[in-house]
Amino acid sequence: MFLHQLDLTTALRPSLLPEETLLFVQDAVGLYEGKFKIPQYQNGQAYLTSHRACYVDHNEPRKNSVAIFLKDVEKPEFYAGFLKSSAKITLYPKPSKRLSRGPPAASGNTSITPERRGSPAPPSAPPLSATWVCPICSFSNPVPSNFDPATANARTPLPPCLACGIKPPLVHVVKAAIAAIANRPTPQVPPKDDKNGLFASTSAVGGAFGSSLSCPRCTFQNHPSLSTCEMCGASLVPAADRRLGFAQDIGRADSPGPSLNSPLQDETIECIKFSFRGGGEKIFYERLRNALVQRKWLLQSAPPIPKPRPPSSTFDDSYSTMSDTPSDPERNKVVGIAGLERRGLEQRKNNEAMIGSAFEDLEALMTSAKEIIALAEQFASQANLGSNGSSEASALASQSASALGLVTTKDMLGSGSESLYVSELSRNLAEWLTDDTRGILRREGGIMTLVDLWAVFNRARGGVELVSPADFEKAARMWDKLKLPVRLRQFKSGLLVVQGRDRTDEKTIGSLLAWLRDMHNESPATEVAWDWRTYGRGVTAQETAERFGWSVGVATEELEMAEEAGALCREQGLDGLRFWENWLVIQDHDHLVE
Amino acid sequence: MTTISSPSIQHLTPSTTTATTTTGDPTPSTTTTADGFQFPPIYSFPPFFTLQPNAQTRTSQLTSWSTLIQSYCRAHHLFALSLIDALPTPLFTNAQLARKLSLRDARTVLSWMCTPEGGNRAEWITAGGGKAAKGGQGQEGEGSAVCWIYWRRPEEWAVAVEEWVERTGQRGTVLTLYELTESDATRREEFYGMDMELLQKSLQVCVKRGKAQIFGAEGSEGVKFF
Repeated sequence: MFLHQLDLTTALRPSLLPEETLLFVQDAVGLYEGKFKIPQYQNGQAYLTSHRACYVDHNEPRKNSVAIFLKDVEKPEFYAGFLKSSAKITLYPKPSKRLSRGPPAASGNTSITPERRGSPAPPSAPPLSATWVCPICSFSNPVPSNFDPATANARTPLPPCLACGIKPPLVHVVKAAIAAIANRPTPQVPPKDDKNGLFASTSAVGGAFGSSLSCPRCTFQNHPSLSTCEMCGASLVPAADRRLGFAQDIGRADSPGPSLNSPLQDETIECIKFSFRGGGEKIFYERLRNALVQRKWLLQSAPPIPKPRPPSSTFDDSYSTMSDTPSDPERNKVVGIAGLERRGLEQRKNNEAMIGSAFEDLEALMTSAKEIIALAEQFASQANLGSNGSSEASALASQSASALGLVTTKDMLGSGSESLYVSELSRNLAEWLTDDTRGILRREGGIMTLVDLWAVFNRARGGVELVSPADFEKAARMWDKLKLPVRLRQFKSGLLVVQGRDRTDEKTIGSLLAWLRDMHNESPATEVAWDWRTYGRGVTAQETAERFGWSVGVATEELEMAEEAGALCREQGLDGLRFWENWLVIQDHDHLVE
Repeated sequence: MTTISSPSIQHLTPSTTTATTTTGDPTPSTTTTADGFQFPPIYSFPPFFTLQPNAQTRTSQLTSWSTLIQSYCRAHHLFALSLIDALPTPLFTNAQLARKLSLRDARTVLSWMCTPEGGNRAEWITAGGGKAAKGGQGQEGEGSAVCWIYWRRPEEWAVAVEEWVERTGQRGTVLTLYELTESDATRREEFYGMDMELLQKSLQVCVKRGKAQIFGAEGSEGVKFF
């Protein structure tokens, strides 16, 4: 399994795994398998991350997107292009792996990864996909694809349950993952063959060759786990594939690379080529090589900074973690203030040790970079807290600074094309805005001005790779074109605001009118001369802003928009401008009816 | 002119009457002045006193104002309004709400009433007393402060006078203008107490139609209906 299915975000970018960072993006890229073009994968964007090389199709991003884990890559090769042939980068897969529990960093993950591109053999999926059952709501969750039971420890980030949102105990997931590995029939036999053997046995019940596979060329009965004929060396796979998977093949009948659909992907894929028709191959190659050298995917399972007190507790491999309780028992015994104090003390000691060891030499600093950064951020937030001058925006900014995983920077994009940068920035922004964990838009009442957003976004970038206002506006204007879930709206006065696509003027007017209608039932704070049961009362922009959590500017614009639509009317009084339900028109209407 | 405006008169007259009947509804919010005029409910809606920027709302608002001014003038038997004098009256000032129409807005309302869009329900009286051009009264009227309120248009008045003459069987008789507006015989008619200038305007319509003839010198004219 060299090619993996790729999960996309709402903005149609690859959704990154924890700790994964985006390195480079290049458009106008096509995919080759061996020498052949892979149909329907000929125009898309290549995303290089610290863990993967991804292809996202331009036309059918949800359907035709694949990822190659860099850890499966044996070596990359560069081809500079010649005449009409565009530059290509070839990724050679690692030779078929050893035992799935073998060297964990290299192959352990893949053995439990459920995703398969195109999933040509659906029945093979269940034994492969490891699931853990939530102990609280008993919902079956998939084990994360990058989860490795052999190297998992207390530091491994675990996704919460999809149904109830509670994080599972580590032991639980490790058990599930191991059970999934154990349940696989024979790690060496690819699943499709398994199925094929089954097919053959049902077709020849009781026959002597029930479990053998006939060679299409010489008709020699081979053992089902072989991929090539023992006698003549012909591939046994395409024949099996044509029988079983022709339904999926209809769309690509003229595919020059039929072996792509082969179940024996590990063996049959010689290499995958990324063809760069729009340039950018050099930087891609350079960064790919760097990523292969850095091997960030190892970092995740790297042992954490040693803790001074219980020296071995977090060093345990998965098996002993399973038998132990996940956290050291001593800690649980002390409760109350004493417990809190003690925990604080432990924390400080740990920090001390971490800083001490990290700065011993540069190498150590590099290996423990992750912890140090986390610590620095924590200190920064504490310092902010102390200074007491942190506004909500700065809190928001510091919160999201670390969470802003997907940063689009100019040097990350190839071919120097401005439009690619803007469209990537646009997607980046949309993702950032719609991310529920941050809730940027929700905090601002579902709408915020573009200027505010620009400020918050740049602050979230932590002062590096700031976005120019011009690029920012261009990116925001791309939302409509890219069909992203946010939209840019221009008010009559020219004010630009950002809001969710589902928030239309009608909805805004509806909520405004509903609010004004409520006022018919509650008597005003002060005595009023008019009949408030009939007319309710007028509202100022200030009140509206408070009520809906908008800024005053936005509230004014929304009120004027509603007035423009004829739903509200204004009253210029001594105490400022107030907006009312439009009884002027309603009244007139009544007259006409009478 | 007459033929063009007559359909709109037919259309607007009923609405004027309905407006008056609406005011008769026992609504608690309705403001009533000492002399028994009942304001429409919209009169106690505070935004009514702010001119709206939205075109549609504004038209609707101006129509409401036009209706109010006409019915107010009809009830108080006013044929012309002096803007400055009328501003503090209950017509433009709602003391109860502590809201009033500003001078500029009141002028806009009246100017709108002068336009064909407003049904030509008003006309600025120019200083010379002559007939103002129908076109840009708005601009022309900026300087002047008095304006006819046509709760009946001159054409309608002509018809009303003619009908009265017919009813009382005075065809062929010569009637003085004073007699038409001030005598006891016309006390119960709507045109009783009508401004002489407006009456002359109306009678001119009859003359043009060939239904009447005006004799006599300035100040002591008589009219004869055929």
